[in-house]
Amino acid sequence: MIDTSYALGVLAAMAAVTFGLRALPFLAARFLQSHPLVQRLGRFLPLAIMTLLLVHTLVGSARENPSGPWAELAAVATVVALQRWRRQPLLSILAGTALYVALRNIGISS
Amino acid sequence: MSATPSNPQPPATPPISVLSLSVPVAMGYIPLGMVFGFLFVQAGAPWWLAVTASVWVFAGASQFMMVPMLAAGLPVASIALATLVVNLRHVFYGLSLLHKLPHQPWARWYLVFALTDETYSVLTTLPGGTRAGQMVTVALLNQGWWVLGTLLGAVIGAQAQIALVGLDFALAALFAVLAVEQWRSAESSAPLWVAVVSYAVAWALVPQQALLVAIALSVCAGLFWPKSTHAEVAP
Repeated sequence: MIDTSYALGVLAAMAAVTFGLRALPFLAARFLQSHPLVQRLGRFLPLAIMTLLLVHTLVGSARENPSGPWAELAAVATVVALQRWRRQPLLSILAGTALYVALRNIGISS
Repeated sequence: MSATPSNPQPPATPPISVLSLSVPVAMGYIPLGMVFGFLFVQAGAPWWLAVTASVWVFAGASQFMMVPMLAAGLPVASIALATLVVNLRHVFYGLSLLHKLPHQPWARWYLVFALTDETYSVLTTLPGGTRAGQMVTVALLNQGWWVLGTLLGAVIGAQAQIALVGLDFALAALFAVLAVEQWRSAESSAPLWVAVVSYAVAWALVPQQALLVAIALSVCAGLFWPKSTHAEVAP
């Protein structure tokens, strides 16, 4: 059994570290906002980070999938194509996820 | 591409509604939260401790990482250090949100607290004039899904059987949709290619920390990104 006060101490420390990391740019905002470099990053980073999160999630899924990365690639291609075409997030996400779930579960049950 | 005015105003109707952005987050957070709650209870924690973790910490990757460390009774300092490494990427998220987050302290600091990968993704996609209340709503909804999933996983415990593999792909699909939207509004697609190359390099060098290293490489590349005077004018 896990000791409760120890566990609460761990959680409090983790909460403090996580909040500190998330808050750092805002605490240093006055310094950062005067920097043109930061504004440059503000324009550059959103697309870069979104791409990284996408690639990272895909790599994570593909590594757990014994039948290779094809299901991930097909599903993400579907999402990107649908989103570029129809621009309806919910439709794109549901279609891509449904395709992925179908591909994965067909592959396992057969 | 539609013609973009040189001084873009937020459109009257946001192209993406707040609630519709939180639904895919729910589809990812509820099953993932259930897995976390399940694992933590299996490791010997009571259900309310699992819920406390999701209310206080609200950082998926580090919560998963913490379970075996806490079960092994590692010192608080070493778990805190591991949390620092796993969540280091969140430092960069605030950089692009400095001007976007509301100035009311309660809204601003709750949003900073709730700045997970997914909440960051959704917030960066919202148009410039989005009200503080809407931003807080989407962050609260997201944390609500995570806590709900944790509670379900912890309470259902050993009986939990996730019937369908792959439902958490909804999170990847959400990132894909948001990347497409960022791509649409970006001045150039260079950040996308920089990110792909950065990830490949980071993966080759340190697969265990590929995301963090790739973000650091992208930040370095972004620092050399040329200034442009009219950032929003797309051809």
